[in-house]
Amino acid sequence: MRKKWFVVLAALLVLVAFVFTGCQKEGATKRVKVKVEQWEIPFMNSLTGPIASIGEFLHWGAERAAKEINEAGGISGKPVKVIGVDTALDPQKGVVEMGKIVQNTLVALGPVPEPVIMAAMPIAVENEMMSMTATTSLEYAEKFFPWSISWFPKTEDRLPPLVTAWAEMNPEMKSVVQFVAQYGPWPGMAAAHNVGLEKAGVKVLNPVEVAQDMVTFGPLAVKALEQKPDGIILSCFPEKAAKIIQELKSRGWKNMSRILLFSSADDASLYSTGGASLNGAIIYNYINVDVDTPRWNAFKEAYAADHNGMQPPSLSTNYYDAVYMIKEAIEKTGVTGDPKKLKEERKKIAEYMANVKGFQGLLFNWDMSGGVPTNKPTYLFEIQDGKKKLVKEIRD
Amino acid sequence: MSLPLYYFLTITAINILMSWALYLPYRVAHLHFLTVANMAISGYLSGWLVQGLGFSFWAALPIGLLAGGLLGWLLSLFIGDAPTFTVVIVGFTFIYITRTVIENTKAVGATMGMFGLPLVAGSPAAHRWALLALLYALVLVVGFLIHRFEHSRLGRASSAVFVDKDLATSFGVDIKKLGRLLQVFSSTVAGGCGVIYGFLYRSFHLDFFTFQLVGLFMTIIFVGGYATMWGVVVAAPLLYGLTLLFPPEVASWRIVIYGAILVAVLVLKPEGFITRRLILNLERLLSSKRKKI
Amino acid sequence: MQVFVAQVINGLSLGSIYVLLVTGFNLLLLVAMIIHFSYPQVVVFSMYIAWVVLRYTGNNVPLAVLASVGASVAINLASAPLFQKIMKNREEVDINSTMVVSMGIGMIITDVLSHGFNKGLPISFPKELVGDVAVFRFGLISLLSGQVVSLAVGVLAVSGVFLLLYKTRQGRAFRAIAEDPNGARLVGIPLLSTGLQSYALSGILGGLIAVLLALMLGYTSPGLGELVAHKVLGVSIIAGLGNLPGGLVVGLALGILEALIQGYLPGSWSNAIAFLVLLVVILVKPRGLFGIKL
Repeated sequence: MRKKWFVVLAALLVLVAFVFTGCQKEGATKRVKVKVEQWEIPFMNSLTGPIASIGEFLHWGAERAAKEINEAGGISGKPVKVIGVDTALDPQKGVVEMGKIVQNTLVALGPVPEPVIMAAMPIAVENEMMSMTATTSLEYAEKFFPWSISWFPKTEDRLPPLVTAWAEMNPEMKSVVQFVAQYGPWPGMAAAHNVGLEKAGVKVLNPVEVAQDMVTFGPLAVKALEQKPDGIILSCFPEKAAKIIQELKSRGWKNMSRILLFSSADDASLYSTGGASLNGAIIYNYINVDVDTPRWNAFKEAYAADHNGMQPPSLSTNYYDAVYMIKEAIEKTGVTGDPKKLKEERKKIAEYMANVKGFQGLLFNWDMSGGVPTNKPTYLFEIQDGKKKLVKEIRD
Repeated sequence: MSLPLYYFLTITAINILMSWALYLPYRVAHLHFLTVANMAISGYLSGWLVQGLGFSFWAALPIGLLAGGLLGWLLSLFIGDAPTFTVVIVGFTFIYITRTVIENTKAVGATMGMFGLPLVAGSPAAHRWALLALLYALVLVVGFLIHRFEHSRLGRASSAVFVDKDLATSFGVDIKKLGRLLQVFSSTVAGGCGVIYGFLYRSFHLDFFTFQLVGLFMTIIFVGGYATMWGVVVAAPLLYGLTLLFPPEVASWRIVIYGAILVAVLVLKPEGFITRRLILNLERLLSSKRKKI
Repeated sequence: MQVFVAQVINGLSLGSIYVLLVTGFNLLLLVAMIIHFSYPQVVVFSMYIAWVVLRYTGNNVPLAVLASVGASVAINLASAPLFQKIMKNREEVDINSTMVVSMGIGMIITDVLSHGFNKGLPISFPKELVGDVAVFRFGLISLLSGQVVSLAVGVLAVSGVFLLLYKTRQGRAFRAIAEDPNGARLVGIPLLSTGLQSYALSGILGGLIAVLLALMLGYTSPGLGELVAHKVLGVSIIAGLGNLPGGLVVGLALGILEALIQGYLPGSWSNAIAFLVLLVVILVKPRGLFGIKL
């Protein structure tokens, strides 16, 4: 009798143990003893210098995420702090700062922008530390894999369908001229636009180059209009794009839906320069500001409160999501922040983020595969009074 | 050696060398901004040789030096004794031309830049030590040559040209030859710096070589002292290090502080901190102490 | 042909920007012997002040003009002692020191604008005040009101400054102080008040130029001054330092050249080719096309 009870009890214990291990979902937060009092995430950013206005809202997004995370209990129970590290678009400063960061940091954000990425990322790679370059193209980020991830899929895969969709919205459009600035990955993006146009059967006219230091755009507008295009694509600096549109309009351009602005022009300086003259133009980007979720609405309200009522620019969500991704990576992989395990935990975080599935971003969920996002949407918007109205969503 | 210290030392060495490259022609009142174009041209050339044609860094470096010197020599045939402004315009012109050519040349990465330049030695640590040693060897060699120049007839001739060109000519100073010599030397040094700069970062990007570099080197020369080579040695690490030490609240006003320092020094100490008189007094002090010993 | 004419008009428009800035630049050179490399940044600062006043006064244009002029005068008067202090040799222009000091001033202005105004973003002027109404349009040829006004005022400004400096007693006094202060004092010219007047005059011109640029461009940004500073220096050198009529001709010519290059060649080459042309000119004529007038 006693033996029987013993067997039943043992069986019950085995069953309970089985149920417990079975119930644990894959990737569930591991309960670990964290060795830090505070998670510190350095963010190498251009907080001063020529792109300080962009650096400001990138930093704002990251700090917003940190604030929310702390209000919800932190990462593995400990608060998180985003530390702004200003590189002022100076590679000389960037390398020294990255040199400091790699000494004992688990994971970093940035650098921003490309010249500092080029100079500083080799240091992160050599020291096997993930630094999330969430605002640069895949073509830059992939050079530093696996110690970076890309926020954007391949340009030549993503952009042609977008442009084709835009061309299909304007079936009378038979030829398009593109304004291109010779900067970073933009010529590559312009080439991808052309592929999309050709797929839609639209003739690609001679491009018009926009130099970085132009102050008047009449000559460019004339050069473009001389070719008698039906449509215009602008792949250049935001304030220059705005001025070019104004110049085109002053020379009789009427059909605004046949003007397409690329994502890198979707910046506060586009709207502050162009104002109402942009109304009706189409712009593509990767976030839809009209999504109605409590989290996004709270983000928008907070941004408007801190920025004179402005809408959040598209890039403002990138580092917000990056901070949340770090949170998820730390909690799901059981990272402790133990300095003795720095190398090992850096690797865990990098591997997790490069292949995360169903990451819940601020505006949509997405997957990563080998450091490249696989199913992010892209959107076409119409600009009206400084705001973007969704026209079409395009998914891979 | 810690990484921040390594980068601080190596970039300071680059800034010293490049500021000397600008300082030398300034001894005859030439603002030789061509040096920034030399940096970019030799740098990208070396990157292409190494990545495209499989040269080693140690073979590409002398080629970069030669390329800088050659361009400097060619242009010096026209501007060896040109007025200051002409030399300034030459510099600006070549910076624009260089940038435009590079951004349109796919072989050197065009607007994307060049990635993944190889190590110059077997391991990352060896690479760092090699570059550090090379840079400070260059600082010593170039510094020695400039020091010898300044204490030679040519140095005294250049001082005369700086003060009064016509008087110098009447004393038999060949301004064109002197100008050409200084410009060629300056362009050669700049070419070498360009090569090493890229391998320091292990990449090249157009925005490594901007007009802001011109501003930086000018600031170093004028704040440190434009009358003697030692001003650069003092100002380069100070101005670079200062910005790295600023707390975040102050760092956001970095450029304003830089500009204010520049203006204040030029107004209060127009010759810069390290003047000829100071060096002379130091030399006298040291030699009197040596005699006592 | 239509395209060519359109580009020439565009070029005149761009050239008028250079003319305005070079005139102010030359004025400072003539009355104070200063190479103010960052004069365009001072003008951009005045544009920002005008924008702020327009914004907070409901587009009160006269007040904005006054504020712009006031800002330019204030900066000139504040920087005057700095330049005067560093100029040791008054017989020749000390280009290097004044250029470097003005670079420092330019750095300060650009960074203050990046920090303190509109979060460093470009600003645009109210549409109703910008001169973008076409006074003439034929095909691709378009002549806007802002362009006409800027060009006309540019020519008037050059003429006015020239007449003032070379045909009036006050102008002669300004030039005397600049060239030889001791000599000027000896003949009874009050140095302090005349010197201040000369700086104020260049400030007034700077403020007016700011208003004209706002009218013509319709926008500005913290970095706009830096973008044109090299060209302004280049135009002044090619024309001949201090040569007002020369600045007018070369400024317009450079504008037309750039517009034609942008119109017929890849735009990224416009600066390189423009500077190459300037370089060739200066190698052939080191004292400028029309001679130095200091």
